[in-house]
Amino acid sequence: MGETRGGKHTNDRLQGTLDLLVLRTVASRGPLHGYAITVEIGALSANRLQVQEGSLYPALHRMTQAGWLSANWGASENGRRARFYSITAAGRRQLADEEKNWAHLTGAVARVLRHA
Amino acid sequence: MVKQLLNWFRLRRLEKDLDGELMYHIDRRIDDLTRMGWSEFDARRQARLEIGGLTQIREEVRDVWLTRWARDFAYDLRFSARSFLRSPLFTAIAVLSFALGIGATTAIYSLVDQVVLHALPVREPERLVVFDWKGLTASVNAFGTYNLLSYPLCRDLQQQERFFDGAFCRAATTISLSTGGDHMPTAAEIVSGSYFPVLGIQPSIGRLFTNDDDGTPGASPVVVLSYDFWKTQFASASDVVGRKVLVNRHPMTIIGVAAPGFRGIDVGEVPSLWIPAAMSADAIPGFDQMLNRRVRWMQVFGRLRPDVTQAEAQAGLQPWFTAMLAEDARRPEFPKIAADRMQRYLASALELAPAAQGHSPLRRRLSQPLWVLFGATGVLLALACMNVAGLFLARGSARSREIFTRLALGASRGRIGRQLLSDSILVALAGGLLGTVLAPAVMRALIAFLPRDVAANALQSTLNPRLLLFAILVSLISGVLSGVAPAVQAGRRSLIAALTQRGGASGSLRLRRAIVTAQIAVTLILVVGAALFVRTLTALVAKGPGFETSNLISFSIDPVRNGYSRVDADRLIHGIHDEINALPSIQSAAVANNPLLTGGSWNTQMTIQADQRITTDREVYINAVSPEFFTTLGARIVAGRDFVERDTRPASQGGLCVAIVNEDFAKRYFNGRSPLGAHVGLGSGPDAKAAVEIVGIASNISYRGVREEREQAYFPLVSCATSGGTFYVRIRGSREAAIESIRTIVHHADPTLPLSAIRTLDEQVGRSLTTERMLAALSAGFGVLALLLSLVGLYGVVSFTVTQRTREIGVRMALGATRLATMWLLLRDALAMTSLGIAIALPSVWALGRAIESQLYGVKPTDPSTIAAATVLLCSTTLIAALIPARRAAAVNPADALRLD
Repeated sequence: MGETRGGKHTNDRLQGTLDLLVLRTVASRGPLHGYAITVEIGALSANRLQVQEGSLYPALHRMTQAGWLSANWGASENGRRARFYSITAAGRRQLADEEKNWAHLTGAVARVLRHA
Repeated sequence: MVKQLLNWFRLRRLEKDLDGELMYHIDRRIDDLTRMGWSEFDARRQARLEIGGLTQIREEVRDVWLTRWARDFAYDLRFSARSFLRSPLFTAIAVLSFALGIGATTAIYSLVDQVVLHALPVREPERLVVFDWKGLTASVNAFGTYNLLSYPLCRDLQQQERFFDGAFCRAATTISLSTGGDHMPTAAEIVSGSYFPVLGIQPSIGRLFTNDDDGTPGASPVVVLSYDFWKTQFASASDVVGRKVLVNRHPMTIIGVAAPGFRGIDVGEVPSLWIPAAMSADAIPGFDQMLNRRVRWMQVFGRLRPDVTQAEAQAGLQPWFTAMLAEDARRPEFPKIAADRMQRYLASALELAPAAQGHSPLRRRLSQPLWVLFGATGVLLALACMNVAGLFLARGSARSREIFTRLALGASRGRIGRQLLSDSILVALAGGLLGTVLAPAVMRALIAFLPRDVAANALQSTLNPRLLLFAILVSLISGVLSGVAPAVQAGRRSLIAALTQRGGASGSLRLRRAIVTAQIAVTLILVVGAALFVRTLTALVAKGPGFETSNLISFSIDPVRNGYSRVDADRLIHGIHDEINALPSIQSAAVANNPLLTGGSWNTQMTIQADQRITTDREVYINAVSPEFFTTLGARIVAGRDFVERDTRPASQGGLCVAIVNEDFAKRYFNGRSPLGAHVGLGSGPDAKAAVEIVGIASNISYRGVREEREQAYFPLVSCATSGGTFYVRIRGSREAAIESIRTIVHHADPTLPLSAIRTLDEQVGRSLTTERMLAALSAGFGVLALLLSLVGLYGVVSFTVTQRTREIGVRMALGATRLATMWLLLRDALAMTSLGIAIALPSVWALGRAIESQLYGVKPTDPSTIAAATVLLCSTTLIAALIPARRAAAVNPADALRLD
């Protein structure tokens, strides 16, 4: 999903898709911890998308600070404590925005490829 | 933003949580891998590989929590602190330079703030205005400082509700106060009943004046104490309300204490108590003119209504004022004046001026000197910054390897620049802290320069939040200014060249030389300023007051304020005068109505009748003195005669109406002819009678202050027309013994009569010159400091050059250069910097001189000898400073130098 360059994770493929995917996953699957998110995205994409942990956690904390996700510690499946992220109302609005933008973007690219 | 600030405090917990998250993630991955069949060891390795760099993740998340910029800055500060602790001498010099500059600036700013800028601690001070009469006042008497109006006019203005939410008036005075024990001269303020309500002051205990307390004259013997007076004199006793005090031997009741922090409206004279205007006859003995419209003695203030501007009020009052003038002129008690003067009277206007800072003669006197000092301290601070910048540049070139290694490892130039900037900001803040700690002591010393007679001034030497904010701001600016040069310098050099070069870079040397040149320029300005102020002071001291001040003592007594009638007061003063004259240790003694060299005088226009009748074009300073006044002082009677005892008798007992004028009077109004035999009279109206004959001319002596040159007229001391007298006593022998004898005599005459201001005339002259002494002492101090700073800077640069060019010097000497030639090489350098600095400074000296011209005496701001002397001083000291490292250069052994890496 991203490339590591000089220590910083830059997402030069499609900016912001990580945010979109995380928000969507958490919105539909309910509160998830970081590991579960990577597993879910991997599973849903039939292992075509591999989330890099180095970009996931900064993104999760960023979205939490921006108020799109809320985080709570809780008990996980194996009994150990983990930090669960759930989507907020503001997050849902952001998700709707991002989905719309994604649709526009891919539509536009598709048109260029079709008619060029 | 707020979240990010809060995160600073929760940082440790956040980091722990993140570690927990990441560990959980890794453990789950290991579990999954082992479930898929991986070995424990391989699974662990794979999980770690997948997650990548944990440190990088932590860094990035930390960037999310805190702003990048703030985090870097905190890191920089820690790094700077560690490196400063490793080089204590450098740190000490830098911090001290800043402490000096910032401490001085803060101290002077505090005074500027309190004297010039600070608004009164009253309700909405920006709505206060003070009234001034512009035009002919047709008053018969006026006393006080300035902006003087009559009490009835204040009452009239209180009725102008269209423009004002109220008006009040006040006058400062000295009374003899007894709170049960001795009678002491005490500062007081006579105020209208509306004073406290309009200002919005609340009482601490009891109540304050209202308009009811200011009705019929003499009907409300009440006073209000000031909070500080209540604290010191009554130990904050809660039962002061209702107690009686004696004001000039008249009993009055205390009705309350004002709020703490309110110290009247004059920052230079703080009253201990307030007296209603209705009681002004008691407070000012012999004064029953409160309701006389033609006696001006109070300052009148108004509070503008919220919807009215000052200009509107001034314009709106004019019609009413003109009508009032016309009506006044028709009253029977209006003095008869000539037609043209009546025109000018009727054309008078009432002018309003903002009065948020109150009314203060102290402000008038000190305003310009304080700004001059503030400018000088600002300059000193700039010098300190430049010095520290030079120090940093020197340090920077020593650190160049470190900086270039960091650049090679990937740091951006901006990042390095920021780190160097944080270096200087840290030092500046440390210096600022130290300076702020020292500032109160400096302030106390400055305030001690200002003499106080009876009234304390409201100047405080404590720190307040405004001051601290100012100090922090100044520290930050200084830090940025002194760090900018090294920071910019750091980014400019070529990476490869610097890493392979031996020794430091030359770019910083050029900058340091520029800084030293600037420092020398600034130092010249300060040294010239200091020389001018010192010369002013010495010129004034040398000019002297025009009489012999050694072995001359003065003291004042005020019998009428202490309950004596005029007749008894006269008898008392005569008695004391005779007894003092009888003492063997006294050469001669005299009495004057008004004391000399206190900044005040009795002045009025006069009418002169010689061949024709003329009036003086400006006010004459007047005094009433006993015979032998001039001889006691050591002034000469240039022509005619001195007063004799017969002159002091009232006309009914054979006394003559005579006067003595001074040389300036004779010169101005008689043009070389002798004034003896001409007649003069007080006042300048057509009905002023010139009935007093001039019988003598005295040499010029100083009346108000040493600086002035004014026409003076002296009358014989017939009776103590106002209320007291100042004795001038020429003593023989021990001063202490004489003072003791005098005290004994006065005590014997009346044990309860206070004797005030007993001091030698030398002290009195010194007191009258406080502003000049303050300017001279401080500017001299600044000049010396500036010189030291510049010399240290120059020494550093030349010394550095020697180290830099050691190889070159070695080569030159090997090729045959003499030691002298080598020294000249470096001295030439120093001379170039000095000359350039002086050349830059000279135009500024010329320009700035105009600004301080009014403070000088006896020397013009562009005085060539002063400037030349300053230049010579600067050149010689810089040469000496450069000589020390130059000699080191000359002592270089060529063989060693060439072998040096």
